Amino acid sequence: MKRLNVKFVFFALVGLVLPALLSAGPRQSAAASKPAPVQDMTALKSMGSREAPITIEVFSDYQCPQCRVFYLDTARQLMQSYIPAGKVYYVHRDFPLSMHSHSREAARWATAAAMAGAFQTTEETLYSKQDQWGATGKIEDVLAAALSPTDMKKVRTIEATQGTQIDAAIAKDMALGESRGVNGTPSIYVLHKGQMTPLPPGGVNYSLLKQYIDYLLQQH
Amino acid sequence: MSQASPIAIERPRTQSKARLLLIPARIILGAVFIYAAYAKLHFNGAWHLRDYYFFFAMGIDSYKMLPLAIVEWMAKILPWLELGLGTLLIVGAGVRWVGLMVTALLAVFMAALAHAALGGLEINCGCFGNNSVKPSHELIVDGVLITLALAVTLGGFLSRRGGNSQA
Repeated sequence: MKRLNVKFVFFALVGLVLPALLSAGPRQSAAASKPAPVQDMTALKSMGSREAPITIEVFSDYQCPQCRVFYLDTARQLMQSYIPAGKVYYVHRDFPLSMHSHSREAARWATAAAMAGAFQTTEETLYSKQDQWGATGKIEDVLAAALSPTDMKKVRTIEATQGTQIDAAIAKDMALGESRGVNGTPSIYVLHKGQMTPLPPGGVNYSLLKQYIDYLLQQH
Repeated sequence: MSQASPIAIERPRTQSKARLLLIPARIILGAVFIYAAYAKLHFNGAWHLRDYYFFFAMGIDSYKMLPLAIVEWMAKILPWLELGLGTLLIVGAGVRWVGLMVTALLAVFMAALAHAALGGLEINCGCFGNNSVKPSHELIVDGVLITLALAVTLGGFLSRRGGNSQA
């Protein structure tokens, strides 16, 4: 009777524990093989309040001349007027084009800078010094001259250690752009009251964009 | 009792055939102009009668050819001008002068497109709102359209002349 009890307990344990182990096994291995979730860089590469009535989303390539013109002549003015006033939320999306030899690398450095909290200075430097690094490919040197040594150290560390995350974030922006039919840069979208409106490709004059923003703000 | 000579009968017949051939040309050209206006006023699934000109002005400005004041003025009136000219072409009213205006307008468009294509500007032509293609491709379309417009204009003038000489 005692032996029967021991046998019963043994088989009962095997019957209960073994299926649990077998079913847990694949789940654990699936979790282990699953890539780390892509960190959402939207907030890190954006300016202004998310609560702003207008969102301007720009798919951009740091080596594209028209993106440079748009940034220097239009986006910078937005950053001085509508963004601090809480009227516009400005979102940068990476869309490095294969025709530009250093644009992907520039996007990687900018994403690393965003993770280090130095996105604005990096973006400004990449566009204003586009001729310089575009010709030589020496992006790191150009950024080192513009960022503080502490920030540059952080950016370098992130760039060197979190390459997979950075590439995944760029790929995520590109996939979003492709899903919207983006095939050139800069591609600008204006989101207002849930309505997404693409602006004509090739950049926009600040005066015309200002008129459009003012018109949208009057709708409130 | 006078009898009409065979030559005199043949000329009106040829003219009426030419006039018949010009009708489809006129309708095609008119439809294209109406569509061009429609595409500038209706896009992203909605009518933009109050804000269309912002987008069209941005499109015209991307050619980097005109001062902003003229760009804004053109953006405001061009869709309505295209709509008016397209309707007149289809109705067949004032064909000579409407044809002449359409030809002149297309010549201006082609000059702008050539400027953009030669300058290597990576822009949409803006001719058909968001459905536009690259300026270099649009030049081919406009080449066909200006041929039709010239045919309609010349046809209009010639038929008028023929009508006057007969009278």
